[in-house]
Amino acid sequence: MQSKLSDAALIEQTLTGNQAAYAELVKRHQRFVFTLALRFAKVREDAEEIAQDCFIKAYRSLGSFQGQSKFSTWLYSIVYTTAMTFLRKKRIETESIDDENNFIRVENQSSAYDVNNAENRSRSFYLEQAIRQLLPDDAAIITMFYKGEQSLEEIAQAMGMEANTVKVKLFRARQRLKEKLERNLKHEVKELI
Amino acid sequence: MNNTEERLWSYIDGNCPPEEQKAISELIRTDASVSALYQQLLSLNKEFAAVDLDEPSMAFTYNVMEVIRTENAQVPLKAAVNKRIIRGIGIFFSVTIVALLVLVIASVKWTGVALPANLTAHIKMPEINHNQARVFVQAFVFFDVMLGLYLFDAWLRRKKARSSEKMM
Repeated sequence: MQSKLSDAALIEQTLTGNQAAYAELVKRHQRFVFTLALRFAKVREDAEEIAQDCFIKAYRSLGSFQGQSKFSTWLYSIVYTTAMTFLRKKRIETESIDDENNFIRVENQSSAYDVNNAENRSRSFYLEQAIRQLLPDDAAIITMFYKGEQSLEEIAQAMGMEANTVKVKLFRARQRLKEKLERNLKHEVKELI
Repeated sequence: MNNTEERLWSYIDGNCPPEEQKAISELIRTDASVSALYQQLLSLNKEFAAVDLDEPSMAFTYNVMEVIRTENAQVPLKAAVNKRIIRGIGIFFSVTIVALLVLVIASVKWTGVALPANLTAHIKMPEINHNQARVFVQAFVFFDVMLGLYLFDAWLRRKKARSSEKMM
């Protein structure tokens, strides 16, 4: 019954003290929030910690949510600020992630793949890998745009930027992603030969 | 080329003004290289949109709700008391104090007299004008009744919301 309710209705119920309604909201948005956190943290355990933190923060300040934007946009702005704080705390060298010669840390992420068997790797695997090689901001914009059903204006709101800046960043992120995907695939072809 | 690519991405995203959209459509139709690039970007766009979301651990929702439940359980009783009740009590006392002050100030006879040498012997308590007092008392009681009704209505609404939740 609750799965058919809108986010706004679930929020209203949560505010009257119905915790089951909030659990439904968490279930609804957890995959996206977790994926977004993973774009910043790169490690599943850290991403899960960030995502959990975001939902708890959102619950605490749900009363201040005025409903002028989508709940998802509001939630993603919490994810963005929480993830940025996390990065600052952990002092992750974000610049080095974009370095072509640097291998990314991918822990417990390829359980479905045999990473040593190049033949098993699909194009989507390389795309996923290329996204993880992007700068966190670029990866987050790509994820929000394609998977979060967010417009440029909503992404700008969530990230505290101008819509035009997001548009430029999205274009550059797609260019980088295209280059990285091509490079990864070329590298793989060389390995196979 | 970058400019063309940027324009093509805007075209794919549907962010172009109508004239620009027309111009790009024409370019795709007439220029083979632009058409090839468009097809490439279109297929990339599909791939980007098809990327799967990652799944958190099975116990994710449970863990979040457990933290929330624990936090709620740890809230001390004084903090758990409904803020509306506290606000209502606050309003009641504020109104009482203000009403009494107004009543007293309104009853004072503000006639200018020279201060006598022996001031304390000449001090008289102001006499309360009974007609004015009745008006103030009536206004005060009226306000209290309205406040009571407002709080009662709020309580009934909350009760109704809770019962409709249980029904779902």
